Amino acid sequence: MKDLMRIKCLISQDIETLLNQQIKKEAHSSSLYLSMASWCNQNGYDFSADYFTKQSEEERAHQLKLFKYVLDMGGNAISPEVTGIKSDFAGFREVFEDALEAEIAITQSFKNLASRCLKEQDFVTMEFLNWFLKEQREEEYKARRALELFEVIGEEGTGRWEIDKHVNDISYSED
Amino acid sequence: MEKACIDINELINVFSNNEGAVYQSDKLNCFYVDFGGKFARYNCLSLQKLKKVVEEIDIEALLLNTQRADFELVTFNGCEHIYLLSALEIISLKDLLQGTFTMFKLNHMVNDCLFRLVY
Repeated sequence: MKDLMRIKCLISQDIETLLNQQIKKEAHSSSLYLSMASWCNQNGYDFSADYFTKQSEEERAHQLKLFKYVLDMGGNAISPEVTGIKSDFAGFREVFEDALEAEIAITQSFKNLASRCLKEQDFVTMEFLNWFLKEQREEEYKARRALELFEVIGEEGTGRWEIDKHVNDISYSED
Repeated sequence: MEKACIDINELINVFSNNEGAVYQSDKLNCFYVDFGGKFARYNCLSLQKLKKVVEEIDIEALLLNTQRADFELVTFNGCEHIYLLSALEIISLKDLLQGTFTMFKLNHMVNDCLFRLVY
């Protein structure tokens, strides 16, 4: 018997479902970052607002990369519904704590996806995911480093102003 | 009517239960669902859609709702077929489609192993 589903699509239904869930998570992250940018801007942290706007664009790019992959492999990519975006934060520090939490959740989700690929021996998708796993190193590093600034600089006096000024300097290098 | 035009010997029985069966045509690269007095042709995408639609029906809510009969129209956008099914028939169709997709998975595993050895 011909494997008609395989002829139509390279990825299995399970992997397709997980990729669509990942698309939704990236869309959620993108919206969350935009919400953080809005909060920062309204509270006078303009540099952080720029930082989160850039992060939002990155997450959107990740979403589209996943979306294109699902379609290119013959699958059904689903444009996600994004709801329940947090728009109010208790303070400047909480914004960065939430950002790190969101990145950790994304990494965990990619690990789950990669584990499923290995189980199914879907090495094609696994190879595609390697780019994202590598990207998560940078994303988590940046989020963690931003939180470290709160410890190093401190929030007292002009501390928050200093932190805001240095947030955009955070960069990750493998070397 | 469609059934009369198809050579049943060319079809492969993918899965069947007491209420119906799903066949595959390797020649036409399509599937036939024999259920509820219909012999309907589906391609890969539409069969997946049918499964999704059937799985989304909340049978418990259907049975508990006293305001309406426990019948449901089963169809989706672009589908040429409509099924009017009772709760029991929906359970059977769900079972049929789940069995079918399990067989697809099994067939994929076998094909995957064989092709790796042959090529």
